[in-house]
Amino acid sequence: MSEAAPDAVIVGAEIAAGHDGAAELLVRLKYENGTVGTVTLNADVGFALIRACGADKIEELAGHSWRKILEGLEHA
Amino acid sequence: MLDLVIRNGIVVDGTGKPGFRADVMVRDGRIVGVGIGHDAEAKTVVDAKGKTVAPGFIDPHTHFDVQLLWDGAARPALEHGVTSIVPGNCSLSLAPLKAPDRPAVVGMFQQIEEMPPEAFTIAFDWTWENFEGYCAAIKKKLELNVAPLVGHSVIRLWVMGADSQKRAATADEIRAMQRLLRESLEAGAVGMSTSFVDMDAKGHPVPSRFAQFAELDALSAVLGEYGRMLQVVPEFYDTDITIARVDQLSRLSLAHGIPTTFSPLFDSTLTPNNVDRVMGRVEEQFARGARVWPQMQTRPIDVSFSLKRPSLFLARLPSWLRVMKKPFEERVAALKDPEVVAKLIADTGPDGGALYFGRLVIRGGDAAPASLVGRTIASLAAEKNETAAKTLIDISLAHGLDVAFLAASAGHEKTDRVGRMLAHPLMHVGASDGGAHLHSFATYGDTGYLFSEFVRKSHHFSLERAVQKITSETADIWGLPNRGRIARGAAADVVVFDAGTIARGEEKPVFDMPGGGMRYARSAIGVDTVVVNGAVAYAEGAYTGAKHGTICT
Repeated sequence: MSEAAPDAVIVGAEIAAGHDGAAELLVRLKYENGTVGTVTLNADVGFALIRACGADKIEELAGHSWRKILEGLEHA
Repeated sequence: MLDLVIRNGIVVDGTGKPGFRADVMVRDGRIVGVGIGHDAEAKTVVDAKGKTVAPGFIDPHTHFDVQLLWDGAARPALEHGVTSIVPGNCSLSLAPLKAPDRPAVVGMFQQIEEMPPEAFTIAFDWTWENFEGYCAAIKKKLELNVAPLVGHSVIRLWVMGADSQKRAATADEIRAMQRLLRESLEAGAVGMSTSFVDMDAKGHPVPSRFAQFAELDALSAVLGEYGRMLQVVPEFYDTDITIARVDQLSRLSLAHGIPTTFSPLFDSTLTPNNVDRVMGRVEEQFARGARVWPQMQTRPIDVSFSLKRPSLFLARLPSWLRVMKKPFEERVAALKDPEVVAKLIADTGPDGGALYFGRLVIRGGDAAPASLVGRTIASLAAEKNETAAKTLIDISLAHGLDVAFLAASAGHEKTDRVGRMLAHPLMHVGASDGGAHLHSFATYGDTGYLFSEFVRKSHHFSLERAVQKITSETADIWGLPNRGRIARGAAADVVVFDAGTIARGEEKPVFDMPGGGMRYARSAIGVDTVVVNGAVAYAEGAYTGAKHGTICT
């Protein structure tokens, strides 16, 4: 599933309560140095990421490159 | 003769010391005495027997900039005991603003506040361009005090025009911004706000986000001339970037001798170390002498969604996710298809969605009929002898999918964790966002919630400490002299409340925006009387209309 080995990779995603009262997608990324960080996406970008990854459930985002988030941002 | 005396109450004076039995005497907008045994006559007498008499609460993070033009009480803030508010946060204020730039800023406000367009066209006349003019426009109507921030984005827009959302500023432009900031501070601004996060109505970053550090540094130097506040919205969704901003704000604070504050900062079980990590860096920076105050809201985060617009609330459920990804008409068709509906119900588990949807509340303010507003999905499902999932689908279909469901306390909701964070000596209790997010949730009553949840229920605060947090501490952080204390010579901003019952009311849709626009609001519970600059502004459940508020600097 991973498209570029040296890249940061999505290792998980969860639904979070957003500051604005909307559900958000909290994506966990593992960087090439082993560090795990998070990025929070709003509904538009979150759905676009799900589409970009062809996922049927958020668990299927795991393994995709962080670059899919960029695709999501472009298509949101 | 006194103008006002508040008799027989227990004075909690805002300093944190134990409450004491005393009368509070007021003349010419000031407290002229606090004690017992005085029998001076007064034009107005408030009997506070059995009640707490405290300084009026100060809300340091609001967006009432527009509402103040037709509602000088910032309803319902005043009835909650809030006597002073800080609008102009997050880089946005309504001045300085050239007439041709108004549509752009209106779009930014609509994006942030969700205010109807009519609010900007039928509710007031634009009579100003500079900050002094805006203050004059609101001042004659004020029923509470306003300590306004000037927004970095509008300063930038004034100087750079459309380029404010394209590029860094030149040295000449930065000097022009400094002059404009100085002028605004002279006219009554208590500081400047900036944002690294917010977007305009077109989804473009607001002007402040194009500033380089040198620009922020130069503007902070002007704030330093006046000792005024820099308010910031950092990248709060990322702990590491927030910590980097703490360092940056500390650098500005130390270099220019200014206080800084940032928000939001909230707790999440998904990122459980976020607040502790940020506070660790805040403690380090305070130890170096910097003033970088994190603001935290008291209320939990409520999440709402409808099937009208795709929401990630349903993204944990694969079948629901597939349906929510469809365009609207296809989504409606799918929700009418018995086979799809069977899969959707199955997806929610053997309980038919009772666990997932049962506690959701129908919010109202949309196409939902009044008879359903406030009902839970569980209660309606039981009434219909139907599963929760099917009930949610049926109600949505019956009203064009325009039915909002509320998942209350979906985040920042762990009282044991949040109480500990709020009680941290360096945590600034605020970040209410009063007057914003009108269609999303009620931003009123956070002060009542502080008492009901964290004083009476969890005991993270004594009554006196809670009052101190939202009165004298706030006044001191913001440099608001003579506010936030019950003391001789202080401004007579006073709230009389029942410490045993003060709370926020239930959230309800109300249609009191210009043009009949809707917002969610909460009324106050347990607040008896609110006094602003010596005049009773709210009593016995009603606003008196007394316009004694002022621009307080």
